[in-house]
Amino acid sequence: MEVKLKNSYDAIVIGGGPAGSVFAATAAAKGMGVLVLEKRKEIGAPVRCGEGLAEHWDAGKIPMKLPKGATNNSFPIGGAALFGPKFQRLEVRNTESKGWVLDRKVFDKALAMQAGRQGATILPKARVTSLVKEGGKIAGVKFVRMNEELEVRAPLVVSAEGMENLIARQAGFSAVAPLYDVDTCVQYEMVGVECEDLIEIYFGSAAPRGYVWVFPKGKDSANVGIGVGGLTDGMHGEKGQPDPQGYLDKFIREHPERFGKATAVSVQGGVISVGAPINEFVKDNFMVIGTAAHQVDPIHGGGIGLAMQAGYYGAKAAIAAHERKDYSKQSLYPYETEWRAAAQPTIDKRLKLRRVLEKMNDDDLNAVFDNLDNKDLEKLLAGDFRPVVTKVLAKRPQLLKVVSALA
Amino acid sequence: MDSTDSNAGGKVFKLDKSKCIYCAGCAAVCPASCIMLNETRIECDEAKCIKCQVCEKVCPVKAIKIVK
Repeated sequence: MEVKLKNSYDAIVIGGGPAGSVFAATAAAKGMGVLVLEKRKEIGAPVRCGEGLAEHWDAGKIPMKLPKGATNNSFPIGGAALFGPKFQRLEVRNTESKGWVLDRKVFDKALAMQAGRQGATILPKARVTSLVKEGGKIAGVKFVRMNEELEVRAPLVVSAEGMENLIARQAGFSAVAPLYDVDTCVQYEMVGVECEDLIEIYFGSAAPRGYVWVFPKGKDSANVGIGVGGLTDGMHGEKGQPDPQGYLDKFIREHPERFGKATAVSVQGGVISVGAPINEFVKDNFMVIGTAAHQVDPIHGGGIGLAMQAGYYGAKAAIAAHERKDYSKQSLYPYETEWRAAAQPTIDKRLKLRRVLEKMNDDDLNAVFDNLDNKDLEKLLAGDFRPVVTKVLAKRPQLLKVVSALA
Repeated sequence: MDSTDSNAGGKVFKLDKSKCIYCAGCAAVCPASCIMLNETRIECDEAKCIKCQVCEKVCPVKAIKIVK
């Protein structure tokens, strides 16, 4: 397809995932000239995600409705079930756990189409290779498309690159995730798995410093995946050789009652940040949004909603900067302030919880799951740690040191 | 399958393409920023590689071997 490219835009977005598309749609709707450069040939594919999204991201936490068709082919979810090492079950059904297991190929494309409808130019198969600088300031990007090297200018470059945030690093952001703060993941999309309307999460040594998930995509199909910590050991004790696929295969093999009739139609994988967001989101003429900024929930590794939130606040700040014709760090800073005010307190609490959970062995986790009820779980997820900690300590006082970080 | 297809890369970064699911996990954690995913192809700029093996460790399907 021939695309009439201009020499310059008001903003260039690198990456056409949820963060990039929400930014582009929001900024373009206010008249900004936006170019989205997507290195893949197809937005949304291949998938490397559990695909869960809570309903409160649709015109809830941000004043933006999901575009029509975004949740087509998704499976509605009423809540979450968490399992301990002995398969003790806790269940939560609240606004945060209600939602969908999406079809990301449909979802991401619907968001990109919304950006296109608002007037953004979207260019697939366009891989950004470097930043263009002018008088020391970021002034655009160079990219490769169909074996052609091109250059395009803009006073604002937005990294929505996901975990492969190479251009954000070039811009000077400290955005490489340390192994301690990532999970390495494998997932099979399977059929022949009986499912309720709940996402399932299994904790314990079946998934070192992580969990196994079953995210239903239908009544008999699901994303069955695992994330294990980046510094964990292999299946046979190999030091520092995490083996998500080995552990996932073992889990599936050891549960024939659930997976005996199941077969995989797709294998996916990826590495996701489960640490803190990067320490700054904006510099002069540049901002980082979404997973590129490690805006991911440290407990469940979900980042679609947080990415849309960053796209929205990022665009809001960019629109104001555009009106002022001032794209300095200071001018773009309201994005960072607003996003952190809205999202960071929960992320900080979840990170604390992750760091406590990862110190627990199966006996500890059994004590937790044996003694907590569904109401406790809800408190724990809401960051109301104290009553739950008291309850757990009464049964297992030796956990005092481990859980004291939550007090 | 010939060996160039199954074990691509140069002298340092050995990638077993028969295992690689091109998730770019290696690129995400590379502290030298020398790995990149280009559609279904993982590319490593070996001149910049510091042989830290972080990519090898994090690869979810064990497709990478760094030769020291």
